[in-house]
Amino acid sequence: MIRVEQATKHYGATVAVDAVSFTIGAGEIVGFLGPNGAGKSTLLKMVSTWLPPTSGKITVAGHDVETEALAVRRSLGYLPEHNALYEVMRVDRFLHFVARMRGLQGAQITERIDWAVGTCALEAVTGKRISECSKGYRQRIGLAAALLHDPAVLLLDEPTHGLDPLQAVAFLDFVRELSAERAILFSSHVLSEVTAVSERLLIINHGRLLADTPVAEFKQRASDSGGTLDDAVLDVVRSDARARGGASA
Amino acid sequence: MTGTNKMSPGTFVDGTLVVARRELSATFDTPIAYVYTIAFALLANSIFMNEFFLTGTVDMGSFFGVLPLLLAFFVPAITMRLWAEERKQRTIEFLLTLPILPAQAILGKFLASLGLIGVLAATSFPIPIMLAVLGEPDLGLIASGYLGFVLLGSLLLAVGMLASALSTDQIVSFVAATLGGFLLVLSGDPRVVAVLDGVSPGLALGTNLADSFSALPHFEDLARGVIELSALIYFIALPAALLWTTSLVLERNRS
Repeated sequence: MIRVEQATKHYGATVAVDAVSFTIGAGEIVGFLGPNGAGKSTLLKMVSTWLPPTSGKITVAGHDVETEALAVRRSLGYLPEHNALYEVMRVDRFLHFVARMRGLQGAQITERIDWAVGTCALEAVTGKRISECSKGYRQRIGLAAALLHDPAVLLLDEPTHGLDPLQAVAFLDFVRELSAERAILFSSHVLSEVTAVSERLLIINHGRLLADTPVAEFKQRASDSGGTLDDAVLDVVRSDARARGGASA
Repeated sequence: MTGTNKMSPGTFVDGTLVVARRELSATFDTPIAYVYTIAFALLANSIFMNEFFLTGTVDMGSFFGVLPLLLAFFVPAITMRLWAEERKQRTIEFLLTLPILPAQAILGKFLASLGLIGVLAATSFPIPIMLAVLGEPDLGLIASGYLGFVLLGSLLLAVGMLASALSTDQIVSFVAATLGGFLLVLSGDPRVVAVLDGVSPGLALGTNLADSFSALPHFEDLARGVIELSALIYFIALPAALLWTTSLVLERNRS
């Protein structure tokens, strides 16, 4: 569903994403992990068609992000970092706007909005302005908007940012439920969240993909070394930091 | 350009109108639109009434005479938030990763703002109604003047939209659009033309600017009831070029 081949993004002389390749199939939920500034959001923005790659090829549901951007956007639901929403709009009107923009028509609009409102538990806020909603509700409004057209691919960029721990757990459970038929790429810099939800981890640092490894394998490494799962994952980043230190020395 | 794809004309229009409706409703969801609509109505109508009682002529010449400067000030207040707000609140990423073309977003916002220009124009309708009651005004002349209202308004909208795309700060957008608007209007004012011609006698800078760049001579023709093809081309081609430039600026901001 998502195929990234040697994707690279330069901002002037800065290389934000450096020849990253991976694939994600239907029914897979993949965690995208890395420190702040590692290149996670840049890569998600490229997959979402927001940023053009400097080089490389990215396809979503078989469509190229550069030459078939509209088809890509139709196939995916995207919850961007910061989840910026139209603050002054009422929640129901916002969802109606997104449904229309997604090309839904007539009874389909009401049907899908009712489904999204029910699925994301937004019944209590549909008549409120988005600016009056709590952070937890706002994340769910963003997710409802991303799910309205029943996309085959979901991109979630730091979706639990700003949520309290209970809200974050509930949100992650919900994301897990969604993964049955979809390809989900889920970015976070919180290790426990990503390992709790994902089957596979992509670890990125300084724009380079350091690992594309099943969570089960990290668990095995932790078990073999007698350390924790967090240590097994962090070892990948630490090894890279040591190698970079050595290289720069 | 990222986002270049084929789309049926019907889908293009539908998406554009959905953007326009959201934009118009967002404009009237805040008190600002009401404030400047009322301010425009009070200012425009009172200036006309003052002149009307002094001259006693049954036409809208004094209204259309002052209109270009009023629009150069009021239109940037409509346009300043169009892209600056989207960029500042980061909703632009959400909007432009929906399955629409950038041109639909630009035209949708333009149409919504044009709707607001229509509201501003409607606030002056008491004037022709009053003139029709008091005498026999030249309705063709008035209609031609309102055509100029809409065309000049759309040009200033396009200037403001470009200014809004260039900055995340609404005040900067407002100031830049106001300067651009005044430049387009005042470059056709005979006093400005005379001054510019005076400082550049060999170049006839003022006359050349007025003839080739300024919106004022074209608007004044329309206000006099003269509908020239050159004016229509000017008022269609220049906004189109400005909207196209806006799309380039948005694309540059993106990458």
